[in-house]
Amino acid sequence: MENGIRVLLLTVALAALSGCASVRNWYHHREEVKDAQAQAREDARQAEQSPDDDTAPRVVEPQVERRKIKVPKIRSTNVELGLDYGALSIEDFGTNPSYGATLAYHVTEDFFFQGEYGRSKGGRTSFETLGGNIQLLTPAERRFTYYDLSLGYNFLPGEAFLGRGHALTSAFYVLGGIGSTDFAGDNKFTVNFGAGYRVLPSDWLAIHITVQDRVFQSDLLGVTKLTNNIEMRVGTTVFF
Amino acid sequence: MRSFSVAGLLALLALCMTPAVSGAREHLQVFVTQPYLELHTGAGRGYPVFNVVPRDESVQVLFRRTEWFKVRTERGVEGWASQRDMLKTVLADGSPFTFDLGDRSGFTSHRYEIGMFAGAWGGATLISGYSSYSFNSQLALEGALGQYLGKFSNGVTADIGLTHVLVPEWRLSPFLMIGTGLVHIEPKATLVQPSVRTEQTAYVGAGVRFYLTRRFFLRAEFKSHYIFTNRNQNEEADEWKMGFAFFF
Repeated sequence: MENGIRVLLLTVALAALSGCASVRNWYHHREEVKDAQAQAREDARQAEQSPDDDTAPRVVEPQVERRKIKVPKIRSTNVELGLDYGALSIEDFGTNPSYGATLAYHVTEDFFFQGEYGRSKGGRTSFETLGGNIQLLTPAERRFTYYDLSLGYNFLPGEAFLGRGHALTSAFYVLGGIGSTDFAGDNKFTVNFGAGYRVLPSDWLAIHITVQDRVFQSDLLGVTKLTNNIEMRVGTTVFF
Repeated sequence: MRSFSVAGLLALLALCMTPAVSGAREHLQVFVTQPYLELHTGAGRGYPVFNVVPRDESVQVLFRRTEWFKVRTERGVEGWASQRDMLKTVLADGSPFTFDLGDRSGFTSHRYEIGMFAGAWGGATLISGYSSYSFNSQLALEGALGQYLGKFSNGVTADIGLTHVLVPEWRLSPFLMIGTGLVHIEPKATLVQPSVRTEQTAYVGAGVRFYLTRRFFLRAEFKSHYIFTNRNQNEEADEWKMGFAFFF
């Protein structure tokens, strides 16, 4: 059955991929080619006859160079790239510094796609602290690495005022998405949601404050539970 | 190693900032044909109008962000004009100012797509992203990266292939896919043969895309992967996924 579906799909894909685009309107295309050939023959005949024309030969051949007008392209600045630094609270493993990078694409004035990558390190659990020499994880396993793909929505866009003379555009935004977290020797499917504030000191520079929760299932401490790992970070990004 | 990667990121950031900072470039000049062109203080529908450009005066188009154009008037005032208003301006030779709009016709025919998916790969949870380059409205070259997280193994998949949209004009339009890729499989330690391996794959698949609004569309697809192993038997894996995408 599985193979049947595969063979069927493969056959259809091969048939279609060969380029329906070029096959489309083939009949009309042939007629067009015929017309073009007839036109070319006509032109050639006229060109042969042209020496017999009784128009006076030109005294001066005008040598006007056509000015090529280059229309300047409009730069799109929808991509936002930046670095951030903050604190990540890893459930049961304390709060630790985190750093990361974000890359966003603003699709409309309201929505943007964002990819995030970040790192932090888990501390000691209270069990380890109380238990003396017990180590739940190796130092390498304590490294907390995550990435996310999120969809963001700008709500409450507005302006922030610096005295009388300056207004900076700003927006609150909410984020949500999926990703993966590498912690305690395993990769976990991670759902994230959060909110942030973005203020733009200039058209190409932005400053962010973001709070984001990353939720994944963990059975590290004996019972399977959903862990919430809340991160607060400050970042700066550039638009280009 | 860590400081090296941070330094690398900083260098990348500095590189990206250079075009943003350098200002010496030629800008497109467009002329206002409506009674006036409204300039907003920010790139959003709610920002107040603080200046208007009267008919027959021109503005320089500095850059574009989403549906807004940053323009400079003849008097040197800079502000944001909406895409809808800019459609009613003309170039110096009188021809209308045209640009890609991000609407239904853009959905039918566009150059690039980027999207993200959630789904299943061989029974494991899959997170995936893709981007594509369209040769015409029907045929596109597509690359996808994914990570699957399962009970018995984790892994990374990378695919490259061709996608053929059967009827691009339809709002709900089916497409077919064929291509090749790699899969990196990391079995969990509890298995009998926990060997990390990278194998080549080939896939064939089908899906549908559905235009939502503006530049967004939904995309759902099924890929049937054939994994070429160096054992006696090749393996098969089915991939189902669904997600958001946008075009530009």
